Formats: sequence, structure tokens, C-alpha cells
Amino acid sequence: MMSQHFKNAVVDTALVGSVVLLLMFFYAPILTLVAFSFTSSRVLTFPIDGFSLQWYGELIRKPDFFPAVINSATVAAVSTLFASVLGTAGAIAWIRYQFRFQNLFRVVTFAPLLFPQLLLGVVMLLWFSVLGNWLNFSTGLVTVIIGHVVYITPFALVIVAVQVYGFDETLEDAARDAGASRWEVFREVTFPLLWPGIFSAAIFAFLLSWGNFYVSYSLSGTARTLPVFVYSGIAVGSSPIYPALATLNFVPALLLVGLAEFLRRRALKRQSTALSTS
Amino acid sequence: MATPIIDASHIIKDYGRVRALHGVSLEVGAGEFVALVGPSGCGKTTLLKILAGFEETSEGRLEIEGKDMRGVPAASRPTRMVFQKLALFPHKTVAQNIGFPLKLQRVGKAEIDRRVVSMLELMHLNLDYLDRFPAQLSGGEQQRVALARALISQPGVLLLDEPMSALDAKLKKSLQTELKKLHRELGTSFVLVTHDLEEAMMLADRICVMRAGRVVQIGTPTDIYYRPANMFVAGFIGETNFLPVDVSGALDGGLAVGSPLVAGEPAVMEAGNVSEFLGEGNKALLIRPESIGFLKGEPGPGHWMLTGVVDEYFLKGSTTQYRIRVAGLEAPVVMDLPGSFELPAEVGQEVRIGFEPARAFLLSE
Amino acid sequence: MKSQSKTWNDPILVAAVAPLAIVMLVFFLIPLAMTILLTFQTTQYYRLQWTWDLKIWTEIFSKPHYWTIMLRTVGMALVCVVISILIAFPTAYALTTRLKTYSAQIQILIIFAFLTDAVLKTFGWILVLDRQGVANWLLSYLGLGPEAMDILFTPTGTMIGMVYNLAVYPMFTIYLSLARIDRDLVLASYDAGASRIRTFFEVTLPLSRPGLYSGAVLVFVLSLGAFLEPKVLGGGTSPLASELIRQSFETRVNWPLGAALTIVLIAIGALTLALAAAFVFRRTPAARRELA
Ligand SMILES: Nc1ncnc2c1ncn2[C@@H]1O[C@H](COP(=O)(O)OP(=O)(O)OP(=O)(O)O)[C@@H](O)[C@H]1O
Ligand SMILES: [Mg+2]
Repeated sequence: MMSQHFKNAVVDTALVGSVVLLLMFFYAPILTLVAFSFTSSRVLTFPIDGFSLQWYGELIRKPDFFPAVINSATVAAVSTLFASVLGTAGAIAWIRYQFRFQNLFRVVTFAPLLFPQLLLGVVMLLWFSVLGNWLNFSTGLVTVIIGHVVYITPFALVIVAVQVYGFDETLEDAARDAGASRWEVFREVTFPLLWPGIFSAAIFAFLLSWGNFYVSYSLSGTARTLPVFVYSGIAVGSSPIYPALATLNFVPALLLVGLAEFLRRRALKRQSTALSTS
Repeated sequence: MATPIIDASHIIKDYGRVRALHGVSLEVGAGEFVALVGPSGCGKTTLLKILAGFEETSEGRLEIEGKDMRGVPAASRPTRMVFQKLALFPHKTVAQNIGFPLKLQRVGKAEIDRRVVSMLELMHLNLDYLDRFPAQLSGGEQQRVALARALISQPGVLLLDEPMSALDAKLKKSLQTELKKLHRELGTSFVLVTHDLEEAMMLADRICVMRAGRVVQIGTPTDIYYRPANMFVAGFIGETNFLPVDVSGALDGGLAVGSPLVAGEPAVMEAGNVSEFLGEGNKALLIRPESIGFLKGEPGPGHWMLTGVVDEYFLKGSTTQYRIRVAGLEAPVVMDLPGSFELPAEVGQEVRIGFEPARAFLLSE
Repeated sequence: MKSQSKTWNDPILVAAVAPLAIVMLVFFLIPLAMTILLTFQTTQYYRLQWTWDLKIWTEIFSKPHYWTIMLRTVGMALVCVVISILIAFPTAYALTTRLKTYSAQIQILIIFAFLTDAVLKTFGWILVLDRQGVANWLLSYLGLGPEAMDILFTPTGTMIGMVYNLAVYPMFTIYLSLARIDRDLVLASYDAGASRIRTFFEVTLPLSRPGLYSGAVLVFVLSLGAFLEPKVLGGGTSPLASELIRQSFETRVNWPLGAALTIVLIAIGALTLALAAAFVFRRTPAARRELA
């Protein structure tokens, strides 16, 4: 009996321990960056020399990263919009409909997720260069946005698809029965019920785009996004302004993830009360 | 009972702040077939899981085959369970599913094969099914495979949690018959959870009626049917009529009862027709639908009469059921008459109905 | 889940499918086809010539240098798959069992780390793995390593970065398939006499195969394209295929060569997956039966 309990205790400890270790692994570089952003020294060695905000000051004094932030925000906002709309339409077609060539549609819309990002960027770069030669344009923010949409839409699609999958169509029938037109059914029932999925897909899409390096690196030409800016900076030599920049960069992501979690919980609570009263 | 194979006493189970069992005691004899019945949420599954070893008791003592079961994991108990949704392993074939308990006991391959085949024969399953996966079987066949898996290691007790609730009526009937035969052949103790009292009456040696985490009554099917502990048990068992009565005192070694709703002398209820659990609260006579009939003239001696209006009738083949609305009674009186070509009364017709109170059963709420 | 049958005359279907299909066609499929076509061209003086010959392909097949790098890439990818799965599985398992009550919170933490800018995280790893970085400080603080470890700018550094960036994928695919396992199946196994560990190997692990396989495929495919990690954490000492491809575009401005190497990498990836799939199907009759 004792040994049984002992075995269980060992297994439990191992399980909890593995999660703790994994979280430490995932957060090691992130927390290190945050720690280094407050160093008062010029060299990046650990333990850090002392606490100071001087590198944040440096960032404000020399805001040459700022255009990159604007670029990143623009790219992320526009790609998110496209990825969410296309992903939602695609998810409904994936799950709710049956049509000829559906499997082909599924494969083609899912494939970019299975494609190494760098190769995706390269393949698109070749295409845009050839097109650019013919039509006389060069790569820039627009091509980055197109690249992000191709890369991010499959993620958004999968997230919305999960929501579509759990969708109870009898609710739509009920709305139709109550006299709603097709558009009204969508506006009053379908969309509100899919909203949590669409919303998380949008947040996911925004952050994927915001933090994307590979696709932007291939397609941005002379217009640099924040990750590309940081990459070219650290390729030259590391400086404590990058940890400071990184720490600032975490803030919008934290806020968005927190917001998403808050909304998810609220939706869950509502659903459970709705269930218990019905 | 000589030595019970299961001896559970005063079992209490708390899920956090929810108390699912409030001190349940149950004994199951060797080779006995016990059915647990009760409304949804009364704690049947919880009790079964405690017997199987999936849940620990919060308080109370559980002995199986004379050994204390505290801390004994499910794997080491002499019980085997058939799950409500069967829980057949989707990635194992029929043969692998059935042979799984033996494989865990490190029984040799040839021996496992032999016993799996004999289980299939016992369950009247086609030998071609051995290499199929559960998803390739019908519901009834899956049921048999689940039974075979539970029985192959010859457990002392078989626990069944509503194993037939998902089957259609006809299949259910044939499996019930088989289950009963199986029980007789094997001599294993069965504990069956069911919602269906008819099923419990058909199959079980004893029935344990539960309500809100407590045992209300344990007894043979005839006990439960003819001598229910209270109105809850009686009402659970099928359609019955309750006539509220007052006890006016002891008379001739029995209890004298009367009712303002009826015409007739106060009746004397002998001890045999009075519930052992008779309490202080409201009392009623339990009258089975088959013991009421239409009255042509005045009630004879020892008979009580009610007057009412026919509310509805149903032809049920061998019987005809009438529902009679009686002033002062909330529910209509239900009567089962032998089926006949001519209907004795029409809807809306005023009728007299009668019964013998001394043959009814006196119980409290 | 019932689904509605639709024909292509239905404007709703066209509205739902067409935009995404067109985006994928124009910006994914056509570029891919284009890449294949490009491999039959040549460059002269850094300019593309539409020549239609097999020059590039003969070059690729005659230079072992390319194949060494390709093989190294596949090797690294396979190692990355194994390590990622080994790291991901216990966590996914814990989130469906022991830590179920906290699984939402832990998942949020993991997603947040995953969604953070990859360049920044990779840079963070430099600071961790550096000779004077956090890891070495921690080791000497604990009295474990008298000598500083040189992980940075070695293949080990590359591997740490790759696992770091990819282990999340199998974690979620495995989590999803574990969460779908009916709890009664586990109880039924206990009931049949199996211990916790035995139940894990007989029931839980086999039933988590879909998540295991799809996670492995994702890690494998995505690690074929690893670029940041070998460059930044590996220090470029043992380049992987992506570096080779970048160089042929950027340094040598040889598009046909870059295109051909891209196709080779994709082909190697597809071939490895096909072999793995054949192996898996041969091993498990259940999977084979499902297909039949
Ligand atoms: N894991 C649990 N956590 C909290 N409460 C529980 C849990 N399992 C059961 N309960 C509660 O315990 C009570 C008894 O549940 P149980 O499943 O035993 O009912 P039951 O008699 O089997 O019902 P049914 O006939 O519907 O299957 C219920 O009120 C239920 O809500
Ligand atoms: Mg139950």
C-alpha cells in the first residue's frame, strides 16, 4: 500500500515538476531580457551591475526604432483584419458546408501552416520579384502584409473552426423559424456565437504578425518592421537598448492576452449560467 | 445472509461541499443479484464507483470478501465494472479488449486466446468478431463485449452502471434475459444500477431504493412492490393510487382507518398490511391499479366506494386503463381492468368505483 | 455535426470560399509553381536569364556540399522532433490530469511566451547562454560548473533555440488529443487490473497518437526552415539549409539556385514524412484499417 502511494507521489511530483521546468524554459530568455533592460552597465553580463532606467531613456532620446514600430503596427492591424475575415469565412466553409473540391480547399488553406516560414517568404519573394519586374514595383509594406495574411490566415482558420465545430445549428433553425432572413440569422445568431473564436483568432493573428520575423525579413524590402529592425541591430552587436526595447514590446502582448483571457472567462460564465437556467 | 461478499456500512461521500452519500449501508451476498434504483442524482453511480474503487469514501467502512478496502486500488479489488457508455478501448480489437484483464495478470497467450473464445461463446458472439474493432460492432454486440471483458477474469462481483440504458426496447429485453441467465450460470454477485424499476424487478434478488444519498428501502422485489416503505418507494415502482386516510386508533389487533372521501365503514388494517416504517406524518392507503374496479350497485361489506368522472382511458391490449377524476383527490385514480371487447364506460361518464381497504397497504409519506 | 451540402451556384459558398482560395492561389500556389519553373533558368552577371535548361540541377547533384548541409538539416530536425515531444508530452499530460484545474492559466502563460517576437526571444537566449550569461552564472552559483560552459555558437545552442521555438506545437496537439480521451476508458483499465503506469502505456499513449504524430510532423517541417537559431545561437558555424538558401539569394544573387535548393528541401521534407507515415501504418493495424 505504502509503495503504491509512494509511486503515485513520485509520478505527481514528476508531472508538476515537468510543467514548472517547461515554464522556466519558456520564460528564461524573456525574463532575462526584462532583467537586462534595467542594467546600469554597458556590457551585457550577468549578474547585472545595478538597477537603472537609463536604457529606456536612451530609447526615448534616440527613437530611430520608432518607424519600425509604426510599420509593425500597421502590418499587424491590416493583416489581422484580413486574416480574421478570411479565416472565419474559411472555417465556416471547412466545417459547415459540403461542396465539390472541399478537400482540395482544405489542403490548400491549411498548407501554409505546414510550410517553413522562411521558405514561404522566399517563395513569395521570388514571385513578387518576377511580378515586380513585369509590373514595375518593389517589395515593401504591402508585400509584407500579403505574406502575413498567407501565413496567419490558416492559424485564424483553425481557431475559428474549433468554435464552428461546437456550434449548435438548431439555434440558427430557431432564428429562421422566428422569421429571420439569412443576413439576420448571421448577424443575430451565427456571428455572436462565433465571436469568442473570431476574437481569439484576431488576437492570435495580431500577435503572430507583430512578432513575425521570417516572412517580414524576406518581403519587407527597405521598410523594416520591429523584429527586422532588432535582427539587423543584434547582428551588428548587442547593446542594452535591445532588452529595453524587448520589454516595451511585451507590454501590448501582455495586455492583449490578458484581455482575451478576461473575455473568455466572461463568455464561459455566461454560457454556464445560460445552461443552468435553460 | 451468511457472509456477505460486500459489506458497506455508513458510507459518506463528499464532493467538496456537496454530500453525495449520507451514510449508506448495503450488504450483498455471495452470488446475489442486487439492483440499485432511485431518481437521477441520488448517488447510485457514486456508490458503485466507491465499490469499484474509483472514489475513496469520506467516512464509513467498506469490506469486500472480508477485507477492508481502504486504500485498495480498483485494480486489486475482486470487482469488475461494466460502464454506462461501455468504455471499450477503441484502439484494441474485440479480442484484445476482452483479453486485457488476463494480459495484465500475465496469463499466457494461448490461455488468453482460449478463454477469450469461450467468453465469446458464452456471450453468443460470432467468432469472426475477434479481430474487429469496437466501432465495427452494433450497440448490442458492444454491450456483450463489455460484459465479456468484465467477466473474463472471474470477478467476485460484477458492477453494472445502467448498461442497457442506450439500447432500444427489444434489444434491452433480450439482453436482460441473457443477463439473468448469465447470473444464474456463473454464480457471481451482480450489482446493477438502473433507472428502470421493471428491469430491477425482473432481474434482481433484492432491490435497494435510494433517494438523495440515502437508502430508503432494501428488500426483495415482492417486498418493494407489495410492502413499500413509504409513498416515495411505492410511487417509484409504477402507477399507484394513494388515498389519504386518518388512523383513528387500534382495533382488533389492527389499525382502524377512515377517510372522509369514501362511503363505507372504517376499515381495520392488519399488521401484515401496514408498513414497518409507519411514521407520524400524513398517511395513505396504497391501492394498486389492478385492485380497483367499477361498482354496479352499492358497495358490499368491507368495500369502500368512490364516485368520479372518467377522465381518459387507454387500451393496452391485455388490459384497459381508466383514469377517474375524484373530487378531493389531486391525481386521478388509475384502474387497470382486464381487456374486454366492450368498453365499460365512456369519457365524461359519472362512475362508481370500489376496492377492499383491508387488502390495501397503509403507509406514511 | 451535420453540414449543409452546397453547390457552386450558391453565392454564399462562393463568398465564403473564393476570397481565401484566390489569396492562396495567387500568393501561395502560383509562387510555388513559379519557384519550380525558376529552377530551370540561369543567372549571368547577377541577372536572371530565361534559358530553360538543367544547369542548376546538374550543379546541385554534383556538389556534395549541398547534400551535407541538407542531411545535417534533416538530422537536426529529427533530433528536434524527439526532444520537443519528450518535453511536450509530460506537460500536456499533466495539464489533462494532475494540473487540470490550472490548465487554462498555464496554457495562457505558454501561449504568451509562444507569441512573443522570435527575434527578441532568440536574443534573450544569447544573454542566457553567453559565457557570462545567466546559465553559467547559475551553474557556478549552485557550485555545479567550475568551468564555464560554451553552449553559445555551437549546434547545441541551435538545438536549444529550435526546441524552444517549436515545442509549443506538439504540446498543444498532444494536449488536444489527451483531453479528448474518455475518462471512463482510463477507469476501465484500472478496473481491469492495470496500474497507473500500465494504463498510461496501454490506453493513454496509444489514444494520444493523433496528437503525437501531428505534433511531430509540425515540428519536423517547421524545423527544416530554422534560420534564426543556427544563425544567431549557432553562430553560423554549422549552417543549415535555410542559410544556404538565403546565401544563394542574397550573397550570390543566384535565384535559380535558391529556388532549386528550396524545392530540394521541400522534397526531402515530404519524402521523410512519407517514409514515416509508411512506417507508422505498417506498425499499427488500427490506422491501416481506418484508411481501408
Ligand atoms: N465528481 C463530482 N463532483 C461533485 N459532485 C458530484 C460528482 N459526482 C457526482 N456528484 C454529485 O453527487 C450526486 C450523486 O451523483 P451520482 O452520479 O451518483 O448520481 P446517480 O444516482 O448516478 O444519477 P443518474 O441516475 O443521473 O446517473 C449528484 O448530486 C451529483 O451532482
Ligand atoms: Mg449515474
